Amino acid sequence: MPNFTLNGISVDVPEGTTVLQAAKTVGIEIPHYCYHPKLSIAGNCRMCLVEVEKFPKLQIACNTVVTEGMVVKSDTEKVRQAVTGVLELMLINHPVDCPICDQAGECGLQIYYMKYGLHKSRFAFEDKVHKKKVQDIGGQIVLDAERCILCSRCIRFLQEVTGTSELEFFRRGDHSEISIFPGRPLDNQYTGNLADICPVGALTSKDFRFKCRVWFLRGTRSICPGCANGCNVEAHFKEDIVYRLKPRRNDDVNRTWMCDPGRLEYKKANEARLLTPVVRENGGLKAEAWEAALSFAAFRLWGTVEAHGAASVAVIASPAFSNEELYLARKLAEEVLRTPNVGFSPRSSGNGLSDDFLIKADKNPNTRGAQLLGISEEKFDDIVRKIEGGEVKALLVFGNELADFPGERTAELLSRVPFVAQVGTNEGAVSLAAHAVLPSASFVERGGTFTNHAGRVQRFWMGFPPRGNARGGIEILVGLANRLGAGWTFAGEASVFRAIARSEAPFAGMSYESLGELGQIAGGKG
Amino acid sequence: MSLAFSEDTRARHERMLARYPNREAAILPTLHLAQREFGHLSAEAIAYVASLLGFPPARVEGVATFYTMYNRKPVGKYHLQVCRNLSCSLMGAEHLIEHVAGRLGVRPGETTADGKFTLSTVECLGSCGTAPVMQVNDDYYEDLSEDKVDAILDGLR
Amino acid sequence: MELVLTTHFGNERYRFAETYEQLGGYGALRKALSMPKEEIVAEVRKANLRGRGGAGFPAGVKWGFLPKDLSRPRILVINADEGEPGTFKDRLIMTRGPHLLIEGIAITCYALEAHTCYVYIRGEFVREAEIVQEAIDEATAKGYLGKGILGTGFDLEVTVHLGAGAYICGEETSLINSLEGKRGWPRVKPPFPASVGAFGLPTIVNNVETIADIPWIVTHGGEKFASLGVEKDGGTRLICVSGPVKKPGVYELPVGTSLRSIIYEHAGGLRDGKALKAVIPGGSSTPVLRADEIDVGFDIESMQKIGTMAGSGGVIVIPEGTCMVRALSVLMNFYAHESCGQCTPCREGCGWLAKVLHRIENGQGRNGDVELILEVCDNMLGRTICPLADAAVMPAQSFIWKFREEFDGHLREKKCPYGNRF
Repeated sequence: MPNFTLNGISVDVPEGTTVLQAAKTVGIEIPHYCYHPKLSIAGNCRMCLVEVEKFPKLQIACNTVVTEGMVVKSDTEKVRQAVTGVLELMLINHPVDCPICDQAGECGLQIYYMKYGLHKSRFAFEDKVHKKKVQDIGGQIVLDAERCILCSRCIRFLQEVTGTSELEFFRRGDHSEISIFPGRPLDNQYTGNLADICPVGALTSKDFRFKCRVWFLRGTRSICPGCANGCNVEAHFKEDIVYRLKPRRNDDVNRTWMCDPGRLEYKKANEARLLTPVVRENGGLKAEAWEAALSFAAFRLWGTVEAHGAASVAVIASPAFSNEELYLARKLAEEVLRTPNVGFSPRSSGNGLSDDFLIKADKNPNTRGAQLLGISEEKFDDIVRKIEGGEVKALLVFGNELADFPGERTAELLSRVPFVAQVGTNEGAVSLAAHAVLPSASFVERGGTFTNHAGRVQRFWMGFPPRGNARGGIEILVGLANRLGAGWTFAGEASVFRAIARSEAPFAGMSYESLGELGQIAGGKG
Repeated sequence: MSLAFSEDTRARHERMLARYPNREAAILPTLHLAQREFGHLSAEAIAYVASLLGFPPARVEGVATFYTMYNRKPVGKYHLQVCRNLSCSLMGAEHLIEHVAGRLGVRPGETTADGKFTLSTVECLGSCGTAPVMQVNDDYYEDLSEDKVDAILDGLR
Repeated sequence: MELVLTTHFGNERYRFAETYEQLGGYGALRKALSMPKEEIVAEVRKANLRGRGGAGFPAGVKWGFLPKDLSRPRILVINADEGEPGTFKDRLIMTRGPHLLIEGIAITCYALEAHTCYVYIRGEFVREAEIVQEAIDEATAKGYLGKGILGTGFDLEVTVHLGAGAYICGEETSLINSLEGKRGWPRVKPPFPASVGAFGLPTIVNNVETIADIPWIVTHGGEKFASLGVEKDGGTRLICVSGPVKKPGVYELPVGTSLRSIIYEHAGGLRDGKALKAVIPGGSSTPVLRADEIDVGFDIESMQKIGTMAGSGGVIVIPEGTCMVRALSVLMNFYAHESCGQCTPCREGCGWLAKVLHRIENGQGRNGDVELILEVCDNMLGRTICPLADAAVMPAQSFIWKFREEFDGHLREKKCPYGNRF
């Protein structure tokens, strides 16, 4: 553990730590563009220059490994002048088109200019080297070569993370630019990360382009619901519209990356949403208040139990729902409806993509959670057989589709059940057939936990209250159960999770506190 | 893909590959071979070299555009490269360039209409003691004067 | 006067192995193969042989940076990417005495236990590379290279690798990247090539002239070589003189020979009775000297004392009547053209300097432009991975410091007093 001095502060760091990394641990920010914690060291932006005792020249903090007794200063006038000088040089060929740049507000050039620059340009505009603006280079990315500061993060990402090397530096000197080879666009499932790691507005997201100024956005910590990997993300939203997902660092799950399909998962929170309870009676659809809709559903479920016995009722849970919701769904089936018919619907494998990096074939965020909570997937097939045999008289379905059945198959199946109640987020084959639609909150509108493919239990947080008249799944389940005489007192996801930790062995000893931001492995260490 | 090395070049290429511990190191020499074979390095030629060595074409394009000797555009039968660095300039290179440009009716960077000559100005050719200097294809012409250049150009007609 | 390299350069047959052998060639290799390897390295240390490529680092010390263990193969790379404006000596060695280089390579590889050598020759030197290749083929046929050289168990394979037009590849880590098939970007250090160099292996990069000196050192001993030069800087060196002198060319002279005698005696003084205005002593990247500063010995330390560098031995003579703004502008075009584009200060700074100099030379300079150049220089100097930014800054600063009035004159008169011509 070498000890060194940074701006007069004594710091102990593990062997091999660089000055830049060490500074972060004590809250000292050393400006940088090319350094990225998950990529190799390039050392070319020259922003992280610091004074190191016994070295006549300023050294780059990103490639200076701390040695015992080293004395480093990052707060001297000499360093400040150097950083200001580099920044000025970086801006001379930059178009300064911030008013039309999506990066504005989260741009490294703007941030450091405010901190170190604030100079008037001494470079004449007519002298600038001009490069190509606005090129669609494939994937989710638009390239503006003029805004590029040539830090090489994107090139290193495509060499070191995806191994696809679609982007390269072409030409040299101040005519250097990054580009794809003509006719060979980005061809991997991780292109969105390029916009994230680009410190300026050179690589921006096609999807987010011109949609919203970033300073209007608020964010919440979340988990991508797109597959079983459970990539840690931040969901960015304005009022009740989600604009984008950005990866959040979790070295055990997704390092600091996420896949392209995952990035578009937010759209489901915005589009084709079920936003108000609906009841179908006598062939007509009717929007209802929650009280009426819940009472209606409870009345019909109970009526079926009374008339045909508990075995005529089935509950199909969904691995798209949280551990807390699945736990209550199971509890409702077992303890309130007292039916043995509870299983989860193995939702579709979606686009069929999978790889050995982040993308899992299982497109559900919580299959493992459902399994650990003892909800069986095999039971689903059993329930389907019973529906086909006319044994199921009332059905409570979670989710928007049944397995990966085509719409007609779902419609046909559900038409055999006299009463179908749905708890779901989006319009789909189930909502078309349901007799009671109980609209539930999207992943950004409620909190809870998902258990990823590796058994890691991870929290996601509510960004904003449910849109329209939708409600959180817990609230819906409690309302339903209590109308069926349960007397549940759960209030919020934390109380449900405490119950899970008490009664479900794989979750024993866990709490929201112990999960923290990065989660814990169920049934053991994490 | 229609571009491909001739049998002869292919054999040379194989022999060359054996001199290096990996195929990456062969990128520069392969580009040299390709330029000799195809005249200049078109996008198609770059893609051919990339596939021959097994690299993404962007990787090869990045290398090809870094080095000045790789011509991404067609050049004339004779590529006249006149040094314009200091020693040559002190010995009259600027006048020489104007002279050649005037004689051929092209500006530096251009090719004559008959496709015979391309005139380029280049940085130091490493022959400053015999300035001014011009390289024509693989050969250096040194201690140049306007008369000497005229004689050289006449010889190349 | 004792000569190390050029004694037989007048003999056109000297580039062929047969003549080279008749004149004593490859004797040093035979001697070296009978010496303990450490002893060869020790002789080179004693020789005070400073790298001739420009940086002047002691060759023996550089060799000492190789890791002690032999578990990873070692590589010797010859830097024949001669590109420093004003320098044309390695070309002379390659064309007139290629076997000196090859013998030096064989001895060095034997001493360093390297079995692979790449000779990186600048791409424009097609004919030079052909001559070197021919010499390699001859040497291989005669058993000086290849499998089990001269009956020993020592194998050595030498490969000529052509560059493709990039000054930056003269910088050793850039050269290594180029050899590896990459863009010629200098590498961040550490690691240094001696531990992680070409293809990830321990690598020594030496200049052509440096290695060509090795046979003589082995034959005559390090002390004898050292005694030819000055303290801490031994031997002779090839001095290249260009510009309007009566006898431009390469002169092999003892290290420490005065710059005045180089220009006025060896190169015969200026043509057409012109007076001397300035001298760039060690290649275009070294600070310029005024005519009254040339009474200095041409060795690394003496040059340093007067604020310039011996560099790669490229003396560029600038006569009276030359516009120094134009001269600097020409040089800055070169650095802007050759900056690899990797580090921000060099990539943007070289281009900016060139643009400001153009407008000054063209009479469109603005008040404060000279100060602007100096400030941009401050923001470039010592701020980059490799010394190319410094190489651009040193002439810029020294031209302005020593010929300030010419820059101010352009701004004042809004035109070039020399009529925009050389």
